Amino acid sequence: MSAPALFILLCSGEHEKIQMAAMAASVAAVSERPVEVFVSMNALKPFQKNPGGERYAGGEFSKLMLERKVPDAIELFEQGKMLGEMKVFACSMAMDVAGVELEDLRTEIIDGVGGLTKFLSDAEAGQLAVF
Amino acid sequence: MPSTTTIDARGAFCPGPLMELIANLKLVEIGDKIEVLSTDKGSAMDIPEWVKKVKHEMVGIEQDGDIWHIVVRKMK
Repeated sequence: MSAPALFILLCSGEHEKIQMAAMAASVAAVSERPVEVFVSMNALKPFQKNPGGERYAGGEFSKLMLERKVPDAIELFEQGKMLGEMKVFACSMAMDVAGVELEDLRTEIIDGVGGLTKFLSDAEAGQLAVF
Repeated sequence: MPSTTTIDARGAFCPGPLMELIANLKLVEIGDKIEVLSTDKGSAMDIPEWVKKVKHEMVGIEQDGDIWHIVVRKMK
């Protein structure tokens, strides 16, 4: 029996939280567990092609991770997609509010624009983690 | 003849060494071995756990100073 899918609701722009979400998503995906990620609010910025300013907002641990050779969060999502089963959707509401279009996003990672209702409905089939 | 590929993941933090192992497993044949060199303690615990979960084979794991040599055989 395969493991239930992991659904990740990512809304923080904080580097530490995005890093943890990326680790959980990529490791689950490569461990034969389907993953669906819903990116909203401040988390949208790091997924933009040109985020303007720093890609991540973060605290002390963020500085440490950037100084040392910690895998980049966005690259981890990308690896998880390449090596496992992962879909990443950008929240339509957050995109409307921020005035961001799909072509402004890293489309090698973002599969499309989605709504919360569909995401929550999909998430009934698995486990939900919020970052 | 089964081959052994060595991946140098020293200096990379979790889950970097695991991801490098998985990417390389896709490139080799069933029965081939991959040796991961890692300085990350977490990966020395996580890689055997992953190998067990997805049903490859742990050939061995040895610590030499700060470096772990983690050897995995592709089973599927």
